[in-house]
Parts: sequence; structure tokens; C-alpha cells
Amino acid sequence: MTLPESPLGAELRVTGLRLPAADAFRLSEMGIRLGTLAHVTQHAAFGGRVIAVAGSRFALDGETAALIDVEPVERMG
Amino acid sequence: MSCHGSASAPVPGRSGHASLAPLPAILRVLLVGGPNVGKSTLFNALTGARQRTTNAPGTTVELASGRWRTTAHSTAGFAVERAIVDLPGSYSLLARSSDEQITADAIWELARSFSETGLQSGVVIVVLDATALARSLYLLAQVAETGVSLVVALTMLDLASTAADSSTSAVDPDTLAAALATSLGVPVVPVDARNRAAGGMSELARAVDAVAEHPRRVTGIAPPGSFSYCGTTAAASRQHGASGSDLAAELAHAETLFAWVEHLAELVKTCLAPEDRSPAGSSRSLPGSLPGPLPGPLPGPLPGPLRRTFSDRVDVVLLNPWAGIPVFLAVVWLLFELTTRFAAPLQGAIGQLVNGPMAAGVTWLLSLMGLGDNWVQGLLVDGLLVGVGTVLTFLPVMAVMFTALGFLEDSGYLARAAFVADRAMRSLGLDGRALLPLIVGFGCNLPALAATRTLPHARQRLLTGLLIPLTSCSARLTVYVLLAGAFFPQHAGTVIFAMYLTSVLLVLGGGLVLRRTAFRDVRAGPLMLVLPPYQRPHLRTLAMSVRLRVGSFVVRAGKIIVVTMLVVWVLMAVPVTGQHSVGHVPVADSLYYSVASGIAPLLTPTGFGNDHASAALMTGFVAKEVVVGSFAQSYAVAEPGSPARAAGLGEQLRRSFDESSGGRGGAAALAFMVFVLAYTPCVAALAEQRRLFGWRTAASALTAQLAGAWVLAVLVFQVGSRL
Repeated sequence: MTLPESPLGAELRVTGLRLPAADAFRLSEMGIRLGTLAHVTQHAAFGGRVIAVAGSRFALDGETAALIDVEPVERMG
Repeated sequence: MSCHGSASAPVPGRSGHASLAPLPAILRVLLVGGPNVGKSTLFNALTGARQRTTNAPGTTVELASGRWRTTAHSTAGFAVERAIVDLPGSYSLLARSSDEQITADAIWELARSFSETGLQSGVVIVVLDATALARSLYLLAQVAETGVSLVVALTMLDLASTAADSSTSAVDPDTLAAALATSLGVPVVPVDARNRAAGGMSELARAVDAVAEHPRRVTGIAPPGSFSYCGTTAAASRQHGASGSDLAAELAHAETLFAWVEHLAELVKTCLAPEDRSPAGSSRSLPGSLPGPLPGPLPGPLPGPLRRTFSDRVDVVLLNPWAGIPVFLAVVWLLFELTTRFAAPLQGAIGQLVNGPMAAGVTWLLSLMGLGDNWVQGLLVDGLLVGVGTVLTFLPVMAVMFTALGFLEDSGYLARAAFVADRAMRSLGLDGRALLPLIVGFGCNLPALAATRTLPHARQRLLTGLLIPLTSCSARLTVYVLLAGAFFPQHAGTVIFAMYLTSVLLVLGGGLVLRRTAFRDVRAGPLMLVLPPYQRPHLRTLAMSVRLRVGSFVVRAGKIIVVTMLVVWVLMAVPVTGQHSVGHVPVADSLYYSVASGIAPLLTPTGFGNDHASAALMTGFVAKEVVVGSFAQSYAVAEPGSPARAAGLGEQLRRSFDESSGGRGGAAALAFMVFVLAYTPCVAALAEQRRLFGWRTAASALTAQLAGAWVLAVLVFQVGSRL
């Protein structure tokens, strides 16, 4: 699923960055990479999302958020 | 290696070391860090008032530089002085904007200088955000790879220690700094720039001086074997469309740095853990250099359930899909009110003070010196003093704008504003923050131009700065009211509304045209923005920042305003007939009016090619408020203070506009209003454009606006007169 399809507060793992290569690279430099764990903390207007990654909050516009694939993190026990 | 040491432990003493690097007379210090890490606050704390703002050579990127002087740690008792530059905030040295390019170039230049001359010409202070160590460490790794000597300043410790989900929460700042220093192998100084006395400034100075004498390497990062200016080439290739293989190579290298960052973060965690005091724990050090095989990221605990912070709770309201936009508009409305209604009485009071008691005082002094009632008095009182008074009357509005922006920026809301308004500005390829100055421009263009500094990229600042003069400031309203009332008394409200609508269309149309021509490189890229935590602005830091920015306006824009006022006075004071002496000339017999008469034929296709209109437009270049007064002066009638007087001026206007337009006075009046809207901002706004973007850009913008306004006015008149 994509970020905009993810429920608020759910724990997620980034599984795909389908952005143009240069944009995906910058996202990686900022700390959002494949395998990164994140939570959606806020739904904003026009599909925008705020996600929490390693203590930081990132704002992503709707189009960008829709190009980030995530999966829910399964926790044992 | 032991993890638990002092943050200053890696700093050797100032003497008795075998490998001293030659030092320059004044050490150059570059301040580097990501956006919103407290870099500029630290810069202000280090330099105080000993700083100045200039544009980086050949660019419109603003750079603050200053002198950083300390005496406290000098054993000889003399002051140690350093030249410090506050480089634009950057996430990476692989630049993606002209601002980031300036940062990358400055660091690579320092590295090249050291590599080629062996002279330690400078030190880089890398500012690390304690709340986002991983992101900051990536930039630090890139800086370290260039081979420059560096010191780390650790900021945001107060926020890190209280953040519910920070990996460094509840960690003593000194302990964290010591752990980082030991892991990195370079000095790490915890700083609180808001506390200049005990915020670590002296310790930072000591660390910088020590590293300048004894260069150190960051553990695990290999300096360049042979010098190559890879920063610029990589960035340039990116900006001009890098090939896939370039990008793949950059990404592959970045992966090694990501691995280093993750490994280092784990090492720091280990250092902070009590059990690490054992010899086993201290044996986990980094390998000697990269690139090379690193152990994979150490297994760390998953984040687990989300721990909501105070900022998360506030954002539930401020970024809400329904409430976010109204809140943003309310903030912009407040800014608009502050820069117009709130500042207006202060501006009026200053104007009265300058034109009343101050002018009287100067006149009295001149008469005592035997210089009263001649051209010297006119030059000093009506030229110089009026110019200085104009600058002074703008001080409240600039101070209010800088204070409000500083408050929004320091509080953390400005980044949210960019997010909320992103969709609105996307069609122009601009950051959401551009909406704020564009709306403020409808109050006054001058503070709106000042507000462009909140935009993160120079090209976006420039594009926004070129569009702001097309926003119809409140001073232009006085012209609309006069002409709409005189020519369309039954539909004056509709005409004025149409002028504001025209202004919005001009901004949108101008933006789209510029994006397809001179600003093809400005694109609406994906919005990927780090939201800083909300915090209470620090009043003393804010006041200092406002003082410095207002001072820069006075020095750099103020002198242009004063010189322009002097030129206008000379034009008004010099007679073109022999019946008058210099300084005692009716407007109609002045050189000023003569120049206006020369311009009038150029305006014939617009329908308002008469001397009165061209003289008023020349005056409007100084300030739009005085266009009405200029009309009154040139028709030798009183300025309209009452409907009866306005009716008299209106009659005169109708007569001359009908005459110059062949009986199509209404169309000519509409064309005149469109011309006033589009032809040029006032001299103060032009001076601010020059201060922000340089002479060439300001002059080009002025020329383009004059030409565009003429074309629009001709169109309006030619179409309007045929309806």
C-alpha cells in the first residue's frame, strides 16, 4: 500500500520509492530510505501526509506520498 | 577506545604538537548545517553586531559574514579574531539549488586551498541537530570527506532532551557530546546560542583554534587521496540533468555514508549505555576509513508505537485538512494588518516628526548660519531631510515584518505554512511560503520583498521578488479611488475591484510567462520538508535579528532612497525659464515638468499622453501615494481633502484625459490605472529589490515592467476606446 492509504499512527516500513531517481535520492539523504520505519502522524489537505521517522517529522505533498510504498510492521508477541 | 570521555578531550593543546599546520593571520570559519538546526542563531551569538550581509558573487544568494572575536581563552590576553561565514542551510553537499551550491563550493574551496598550499586557511563548524542526529551526521560525513578540518557544534539539546520520541531524550548534553566526540574523533561542543554567556561559545572558540593548529580526521571517513572538485561536478551534472550512471555512482557512494551514519549512531548509543563502561563495549570502534566493507547496521530496537509529541498535538489542528488553510489565511491576514494598520500610525508619527520639528530645527540652524531661504536650505530640507524621513518612515513597517517573520520562523510555523499553501503555489513552481509575501504585497510591496527571505531557494526568491511589484499595494488604491470616482462615479467600486482582480491575474500571468522563459529551471518538485518542533521564540535573539536586518535595510536600501530624493529635488528646483531662481520654481516651470513633457508623447498610444499624467507617473516612481498630490499640484488646485475639492480635480482630470485621448477619457483613465498598477514599484521597493537581487536584476525588472505596463495600457485603451 502507499502512504496515503495508511492509517493514522500505524507503524510502517518503507518498501518502495517510486519517485524520479534524483528525488528518491534526496529523500534518502534526508533519512527516508528503503527499510526505514515510520508512522503517519497527520493527514493534511490534498492528500498531504506528515510522517515520523527517527524522531523527525517530514511533510510530504499528496503526489509524493502516493509514490511511497509501505507495509505494516508485524510485531511478535 | 573508551566511549566515555570529555567532549573536549580530542582537542590537543595549543602548543607542543609535532604537526602544527601553518595558520593565517585571520582564521576563516564556515558555519554549515541543515535547515532549521539553529545555525543562524549561533552565527548571531558568535558575531553580535560585527556582521554584514552580502550576496554571494554572481548570485542572489544572501550570505552573512562577520568577525568572531574572543579574549576569554587567550593565554596571552590578546583578542583572537576569526572571519566567519554563515552558509545557506543544506541537507547535502550534492547541491540541488543555488543556495546549496554556494555551501558546497565554499567547503570544496577551503579543502582545495589546504590541499594545494598546505596552509590551514579555515575550519568548518558543522552544526548537528541533536533531535535529528542521523540526518545531520550524513552531511557531516560529506564535509569530512572533503578533507577540511572540522568541529561539531551540537544544538537543539533542550528539545532533544524533552522530545517524547527522541533517541537522545533524557540524555545529559555533555554526556551526549562526549559520546559523539569519542565516536567521531573530532571536538564536539554542546552549544546554546540563546545563552551567549554560558552557552558554549568560548568552548567552541577553543575547539576551532585547536583544530586549526592540529587538523584532525573524522573516524571512519577517508579524506580525498588526490584532490578532485567532485562537489561541483556532481552537483552541476545533477542540475543540468545527470545521467543515470552519475546518479547511480552517487547513490552507491551515499550508501556507504548511510552505513557509516547508522554504524556511528549505534556506537553513540552504545557509548551512552551504562554497560558500555566495560572493556568489551569500548572495543566497538569504527574502521579506519571508508569506502570499505563496514559491518551492517547494528540491530536496533524497532520504534514501536508512535509516541505523540507536543508538536504532533498542535499539528492536529494547524495541519488539519479543514482547519489548516483557514488558520494559514488568518496568519497572513494578521501579517497584512500588522504591516498596514499597525505600522501606519508609527509611520505617520515619524513623518510628522521629520517634516515638522526636525525640518524646522534644520531651517533655524541654517538661518543662523546665514544659509536660510536659498537653494542650500531647499537641498538640505526638501531634498536630504525628506529622503532621510522617507527611509525612517519605512522603519516601523520593516521592523514589524521582520519581527513577525522571525516569530513565525522561530516558532516552527513557517515550515507548516509552506506545507499548507503548497498546492496554491505549485502552478507557479513556487514553494508554499511564497504565498505569504505575495499576499502581504497587497498591503505594501516593501515588507513583502523582505519576506521573500523565508523561501529556501534563491531562484524562488527571485521569481517571487519579481512578481511582488505586480501586487496592488494600498498606496495605488488612492489613484484608483481618484480616477474611478472621476470617470466612473456610478461604478467606482466595480472598477476598483477590477483593478485588484487585474493585479491577481498579472501575478499569475507574469509567473507563468517567467516560468516558461527565464525561470525554466524553477519547477514544482515534490514537497519533502522537515517540520521543526514548535518552540517558544527567544525574544532577545529575535530582537537582535530584527535589529540587524533593519540596519541592513537602512544602510543598503536607504542610501538609494536618499539619493533618488535628492535627484528629484534637483529636477524640481532647477528652472527652465529665466524668471525663477534655483529652489523657487513653480512645478510647471521646473526641469522636472520639462522632462515630463518630453515623456508625454511616448504615452500618446495609451490615451493619457498629457503633461499632467506623465508628471504624476514620474512622481509615482518615488511613491504611489503622491500621484494624487502631483495631479493637484500640476493642475494648481488643492489636494482633494473634501468631495468638493475632489470634484474640482476630477473635472480637470476629465478635461485633460478627454483631450489627450480624443474624447475617450474613460478608456484612457482605465489604461492609466493599469499602467500605475504595473509600471514600477516605488523607489523604496526598487531599492529593496536591488539590495536583495543586485543592480542588474533590479534594472532589468524595472525595464521589463515599464515595457509591459506600456503594452498593457495601450491594449486597454485601444480595446476600451472601441467598445
